[in-house]
Amino acid sequence: MSKIEVDTIAPQSGTTVTLGEAGDTITVPTGATFDASSGTLTLPDGSVTNAKLANSAITLNGNSVSLGGSASIASGMFRNIIINGDMSISQRGTSFTGLGDTNSQYTLDRFKWVEEGATDTAEYTVSQSTDVPTGQGFSKSLKIDCTTADTSVDANNIQYIGTAIEGQNLQYLKYGTSNAESTTLSFWVRSNKTGTYGVALISNDSTEYLYSQTYTINSADTWEKKTLTFVGDTSANFDDDNGNSLLIQWYLVAGTNKSSGSSQTWGSYTQANRAAGQTVNLADSTSNEWYITGVQLEAGTSASDFEFLPVDVKLARCQRYYYALLNTGENDNYFLSGYYYTGSFIYCHTEFPTQMRASPSLVQGSGTDYYTFYSNGSGDGFDSFNYNITFLTRNATFGNNSQVSGTGGNAGRVYSTNTNSYVHFNAEL
Amino acid sequence: MIDTVTKIYGGMNNEHNGYKVTYVNSNKILLVPLDEANTDYQAIQEWIADGNTVIDNPPQENN
Repeated sequence: MSKIEVDTIAPQSGTTVTLGEAGDTITVPTGATFDASSGTLTLPDGSVTNAKLANSAITLNGNSVSLGGSASIASGMFRNIIINGDMSISQRGTSFTGLGDTNSQYTLDRFKWVEEGATDTAEYTVSQSTDVPTGQGFSKSLKIDCTTADTSVDANNIQYIGTAIEGQNLQYLKYGTSNAESTTLSFWVRSNKTGTYGVALISNDSTEYLYSQTYTINSADTWEKKTLTFVGDTSANFDDDNGNSLLIQWYLVAGTNKSSGSSQTWGSYTQANRAAGQTVNLADSTSNEWYITGVQLEAGTSASDFEFLPVDVKLARCQRYYYALLNTGENDNYFLSGYYYTGSFIYCHTEFPTQMRASPSLVQGSGTDYYTFYSNGSGDGFDSFNYNITFLTRNATFGNNSQVSGTGGNAGRVYSTNTNSYVHFNAEL
Repeated sequence: MIDTVTKIYGGMNNEHNGYKVTYVNSNKILLVPLDEANTDYQAIQEWIADGNTVIDNPPQENN
């Protein structure tokens, strides 16, 4: 074999240099080859690293992508199991005051404030905040502000923010099989209260199982990213339906009967293990605040960057569980069409923007003439909708049959007369 | 906290097809379908199991 040693091979004219002829294989000692007949460049395994790929550097020329090894489509789009993890959607309002013993409720979309167990005097305001970790791409966070303190927590009391996941969205985790996937929970958190907090996953189907861990806020009033990996459960699968199969709970207050046990991997739902190891009582001062955003739960043993989605996609995903047709403060607007079924019945109909998880409840504000049905040149006031004809997952028909009077067959539109009038649909978990 | 629960009779045949729920110290009113997957329906069943009584109005004529 002859050998040519040169510093540069340059075209005799133009800008193209051709190596070999059709059918030749050009071999590079490191293992890379170029097949001149097909134009195929082959690189040895492991020769291209993440560091060599710039953003947007890959162009796919075709309609399909095949993933090798243990990679799955879940590691791509929609890898975040949590909906509204960036706290940007809040259809119910942006501030929820007086949350305490008897009024556990959803706040920002998909995130619920809950107090369980013995009564407690602590109260909070949960709100959508613009305080976010700098330079991470977030614009909103969920803020919990203690407004009434309780320094003596009852042993059975537990307070937390939680979210819930449908079982049919969890099947790819392959729980209940030897291939059960680990999941990794990551989130940004901030509080003036440093110390150890509990967080738990609870599988919520026919048998409840608990997996609890702790995280530590190290520096007061400083955003910190926390990452916790949960090994998959090989013993029990999630039901493949629209039910509540997985709960994620961030504990803020936990009495001794909820925190005196040990953190545990998947096992029986032991109350003392839920917030095991938690030392913080967020209710011990009205100066206390706690923030969270960037919540992501994904398959695998490491946390990827937070998956940001377009606002229309985020809103549609939230509307599967809650849909605000009319909000407070949107008074003096027509928002619904209907007709007099008889002289004393109005029927109204609305389509939902996305199919809801279950047949929803109609949630509404009620008061004297909060709504007016305008038909045939006059208005007919009523306090609330009191009559449901059909509530399906895709649409609803409802009305009033106690306060209206008109002419059967006449069509009309419903007007929001009061600033406190609202009409929502709830199909939350 | 739930204050009252009243059966709703509706649809084309005046069958029991939902509940109307009012709350203590609130102007919120819910109309709840008979869907076991609906968490408001589940809350009503727990409220009944706790010994509370549903108001059962006679069917209303609507056709």
